[in-house]
Amino acid sequence: MSKNIVADLTAWVRTAAGLSMTIAVIVAIAATIHTGPYLLVNTIVTGGMLALVATGLTLMLGVLNIPMFAHGEYFMIGSLTAYYIFTPISEFILEHPDSWLVTFGPFIAILGALIGGAIAGAISEKLVFGPLRRRSTDNWVMNSFLLTVGLSVLLVNLHQLIFGADFKGIVGYWQGMPISIAGAYISLDRALAFIISAVIVALFYLFMTYTRTGMAIRAVSQDITGAEIVGIDIEKIVLLTISLACALAAVSGGSLLFMIPSYPSVGLEPLYMAWFVVILSGLGNILGAVVGAFMVALLKVITVEYVGAGWDFVVPSALIMLILIFKPSGIFGSDVRGVLDK
Amino acid sequence: MIVLETNNLTKKFGGLTAVNAVSMTINQGDIVGLIGPNGAGKTTFINAISGLNPPTSGTVTMFGKETSGLTPEKMCRLGLSRTFQIPSPFPKMTAIESVMTATIFGNPPGKITDPVAHSREMLEFVEFPMKETVVAEQLNTVQLKRLDLARALASNPKLLFMDELASGLSEGELKDIMRIIDKISKKGISILMIEHIMQLIMAVCNRLLCIQFGTKIAEGPTQEVANDPKVTKAYLGE
Amino acid sequence: MEPTTNDLNMNLFDRVLDRLCLTPIGLAGLILLLILPFIPPFNQEYMLRWLIYCGFVAAMSVGFDLTAGYINIVNFGYMAVAGTGGYTSALLVINAGLSPWIAMLAGGVSSAILGLIIGMISLRLRGIFAACLSWFFGLAVMGLAIKMVWLTRGPLGLRTPRLFETESNFPFYFLIIILVYLTYLVCKWVVRSKMGLAFQAIAQNMEAARTSGIDPVFYRVFNFTMSCAIAGVLGGFYAHFYGILTPDMMHTSKTVEILAVAYIGGRGSLWGGAVVAFPFIFLMEIVRSTLSHLPGLNLVIYALVLILVMIYYPGGFSYFYDTHIRQPKNRALRYFLNGREAKV
Repeated sequence: MSKNIVADLTAWVRTAAGLSMTIAVIVAIAATIHTGPYLLVNTIVTGGMLALVATGLTLMLGVLNIPMFAHGEYFMIGSLTAYYIFTPISEFILEHPDSWLVTFGPFIAILGALIGGAIAGAISEKLVFGPLRRRSTDNWVMNSFLLTVGLSVLLVNLHQLIFGADFKGIVGYWQGMPISIAGAYISLDRALAFIISAVIVALFYLFMTYTRTGMAIRAVSQDITGAEIVGIDIEKIVLLTISLACALAAVSGGSLLFMIPSYPSVGLEPLYMAWFVVILSGLGNILGAVVGAFMVALLKVITVEYVGAGWDFVVPSALIMLILIFKPSGIFGSDVRGVLDK
Repeated sequence: MIVLETNNLTKKFGGLTAVNAVSMTINQGDIVGLIGPNGAGKTTFINAISGLNPPTSGTVTMFGKETSGLTPEKMCRLGLSRTFQIPSPFPKMTAIESVMTATIFGNPPGKITDPVAHSREMLEFVEFPMKETVVAEQLNTVQLKRLDLARALASNPKLLFMDELASGLSEGELKDIMRIIDKISKKGISILMIEHIMQLIMAVCNRLLCIQFGTKIAEGPTQEVANDPKVTKAYLGE
Repeated sequence: MEPTTNDLNMNLFDRVLDRLCLTPIGLAGLILLLILPFIPPFNQEYMLRWLIYCGFVAAMSVGFDLTAGYINIVNFGYMAVAGTGGYTSALLVINAGLSPWIAMLAGGVSSAILGLIIGMISLRLRGIFAACLSWFFGLAVMGLAIKMVWLTRGPLGLRTPRLFETESNFPFYFLIIILVYLTYLVCKWVVRSKMGLAFQAIAQNMEAARTSGIDPVFYRVFNFTMSCAIAGVLGGFYAHFYGILTPDMMHTSKTVEILAVAYIGGRGSLWGGAVVAFPFIFLMEIVRSTLSHLPGLNLVIYALVLILVMIYYPGGFSYFYDTHIRQPKNRALRYFLNGREAKV
């Protein structure tokens, strides 16, 4: 019995997925021992954020076959919404330090970001993706990709036009002493940001696995005609998927506002990091995206720590290119493909 | 003269064995029919020979030279050409351009002096029913199959694979196809055709190969294989 | 490739025009561009500067379209490739004392090598993944340009000598117009040859192309290399025109600008992007400079145009031109738009 488990484990470690995850864990532990636990904390917080953005991206790609280039802009919308909700709240808190808003105000801001992202996603579907879907005859992937490129430029510059190009940030969400875990001090904001992303990813996973709607979304991703035959309302599912994907990115932007202020092109970094994750983990694979998110986050944190800030453009992309050369289907390569490619 | 010989050709996709140790030969001038139930591995078999999906193990010998694992473009230059089950010439090109592509790239440089004339000849040969300037994506399946055949013939093959060329044809069109197959054979081209229409197979093929679950269950002269109880069972069940 | 073209029934003028891949209207346009700097208000230096930028985008979009329109792969790191050419050229001039003219060509060679590498490693990938790979490549190259401060002076920018030792923009303008036309001509010659047929075949149906005897590796890599070499030379021009080179030139948003022009112009036409670039980029510059209290407005318009074109007219301007303008009843007008047409 135990022999079997050992054999299975060694076999798993030998696969691309196992190998890379084992290496990642070893590197994480070694770096933590060498530099200190804050590195691990950074990895986990960044990874949690990336997991949200990357699952959204995976969802768009897997269900709708849209290679989303504008996903970072929903991250930006989230942080912007959170900023404009939280600024009056924090002023109120200053005057009334005993108010219940001290604890729950940030949650309102983050919830606002979630709703804002969902609405922005729904509007984009109604105004942009829907019309394209109804008119598209061929070359869907490329056309929708170019469309999202346009959308990205549009949203970035609308932000600049309406709200200006300056940094819109906050000092912090929650006041209070940092939590101490095993000698590492973690600020309340970071801990809660991670918890929020963990809870949302878990909820999302449960939603996709156990609810009827989640199953319908997965059905659409596998066979759109089949899904239509069994009576799934495609339009509704598409609308839901897009707003869900955008809400995931937005909530990530909202909960990280204390770390990353909102400005027009804030979305570029989460965007290409999320693309790293998607390429790394293969298409349409949600669990893979979560694991990949932490691996990419680790890569980034390690690069910044040991090679220097700014190199996080270079080293991760070089590594991803190597992976693409040797394993074009990604580490957790699955064959789930989108279906709108007519 | 043996044109093509496969020896224990096997193709696996992960754990699934789609073609299992199939050995066969095609002689000069043969019209071999490759039959078998749906999903038997017929298309995988010819994909493995023509290089689109290289075989996992086993060998392919064409004109006495081992060719297993060669790329499709090399196989084309060695004289193997094929049509596709879902006929798929180049959608945005005109009919004549599609055929010219194969004329120019499928023949040794300098062999065809006037590619346009050669391509026209091919379109006429397959009795292509439309104007040569029609864009491929506007054609229906029957017309596309003719165009695909013209494209396949344009590289002057010595061996031609045809994947379900006749499926979905009307009675009259079937007669036309038979006549065209006859013409191809008279040019000295050996043929391997995947087909389901027994009427066509019995009329044109001189030998048959039947595979089921990726394994060869019969090979031989047409009548013999057609009357083989194993073959009947494969088609009709127990 | 036009199989039905028959040289015999053409007069000399038409034959030369055909060799130069121009129609009478194309020739007229080219002449218009050449006399434009003498017509007020375009004779002012700042206007010329804008026009030179238009020309740069036009030429880049032609090179971009060679890959995007013919083998259907979006080179999303195109400006980074151009930037590599620009930096190579600038560094050769500064450190090795080379003439900017030769250095520009060297820049083309370095970009071609980069293109060869990208082309080779993206071989196994299709469509969007090849685009992603070139994007990551571009990000990495830009990151290098930012971080290798000892060589590139990073974000501070590299001062580069200009091609012509004059304050005037006139010579630069004529040079870029020549470059636009040369880029178009070289690309057009290639796609008119049998190579163009191979490009289209592997883009439209890889399996049928391979069974027709086309080696996709060679043609894909060749296409990539050529398109990148063009970007490299143009990058050299950019460096030696503006006199300063920053890593910002390689930014993704700059590639998006080229891409938008190429697609609004019409994919697979080569000339579409070049034709659209002049009025479009020029208008954008006017918007930017006159409404400077509304920063970003030009890019909002830009994005809206791209979105609308993608949804309602994915064929772009060249498709519109081909279907609605190109076939008038009047014979003289028809000749003007198409040149001497071969008898079918």
